[in-house]
Amino acid sequence: MPELDDAALLALRHGSAADKARLERMAEGDPALRERLAEWDRQDAALHALYDPVAEEPLPERLTAALARPAAPSPRMWRFAAMLAPLAVGIALGWGAAHWTGDGAGGADSLLASAIRAHDTYVVEVVHPVEVPASDEAHMTKWLSKRVGQQLAVPDLTANGFHLVGGRVLPDTRGAAALMMYEDDQGQRLTLYIAPEPRQPETALRFADKGPTRGVWWVEGDLGCAVVGDLPKDRLKAVATLAYDQLTGA
Amino acid sequence: MTFLDEIEACLPSLRRYAFALLRNRDAADDLVQDTLERALSRRHLWRGEGPLRAWLFRILLNRFRDDRRRGRASLTVVGVMVEPAVSGGQDERLDLREVHEAMGRLPADQRAALLLVGLEGMSLAEAARILELPEGTLASRLGRARAELRTMTGRSGPRGERKAAEP
Repeated sequence: MPELDDAALLALRHGSAADKARLERMAEGDPALRERLAEWDRQDAALHALYDPVAEEPLPERLTAALARPAAPSPRMWRFAAMLAPLAVGIALGWGAAHWTGDGAGGADSLLASAIRAHDTYVVEVVHPVEVPASDEAHMTKWLSKRVGQQLAVPDLTANGFHLVGGRVLPDTRGAAALMMYEDDQGQRLTLYIAPEPRQPETALRFADKGPTRGVWWVEGDLGCAVVGDLPKDRLKAVATLAYDQLTGA
Repeated sequence: MTFLDEIEACLPSLRRYAFALLRNRDAADDLVQDTLERALSRRHLWRGEGPLRAWLFRILLNRFRDDRRRGRASLTVVGVMVEPAVSGGQDERLDLREVHEAMGRLPADQRAALLLVGLEGMSLAEAARILELPEGTLASRLGRARAELRTMTGRSGPRGERKAAEP
């Protein structure tokens, strides 16, 4: 067998499974070749020993943060969202705030407390803030509507600078709840939380604070809705009003 | 798996590769971040042809070359802490510090090539596509890199005649 040079041997060593098998057969009767292959194995083992620890470290925040900015949604999608919005249900007025803020009988189970909990849980998620991305909005809308048990609309909040990131289903004491996450160009996130609220009186928009996280909530039909975010009060109210108008078809 | 999930799954090996290539933590993560931002801004250009990993490595290496051309990553090898994963390197193991230093003395194109196959486990064909080289050219480059490495790590005895260490 003609002796192969290193380049030819390396082409086999880093080639197909058949190439590697051929190289092994060649090495069987060739101690010099075996030693050369063993040296290359040692080199690779040393590279792994040196550099593998880097791959096992948690990812630095700046990299996960870079991953958290999804590409801007296409204008076509927003026309679709605008079409869907008027499908949402109607609204009336009146409820006691204590139930919602978690201070009253509703306690931790109140709509706003659940919404804030959901927001706080997922707002920090860089890679998996949602289960269905905005790019699959039609599917998301169908899925969330089916799980919550009512036709839902996905409000278009671009007028206030927020685009849809996507949505997910969450367990709520009253049944399955829908979470839709939005984000502005600075990466500021907003959660729209919609949960079943059967047999509750309907309300107008109400505002509540819980630390830096603020929420605006209302009940309409059999649904409770909350818009939650770490936003200035005025901006939050403006964006909640926009969501409210679209969800109620106003 | 979504596009972002797939990218995330590649990040650990991109970081490992960038560190081995640049030998400096901050510079390595700068390069990976650069790669990531470029990949995300060009995601509409990615049509799912070939593995995403190869696409990301190609972007990373293009950035690496651009940076070198601009003289930004001047490959200073200062105070790199390497914790050897094994102590008391016996004959069957190479001295890790020696290997790390030798890698730093390899020409960058040889280091980039050797790390793709030796560390990242890519085939010659895959690495050749990433480096945009003919496979034969890459095989020769790997041969030179491995021979240099052997010389620098004291394993340069006549080929095949090197015996196990004397007792």
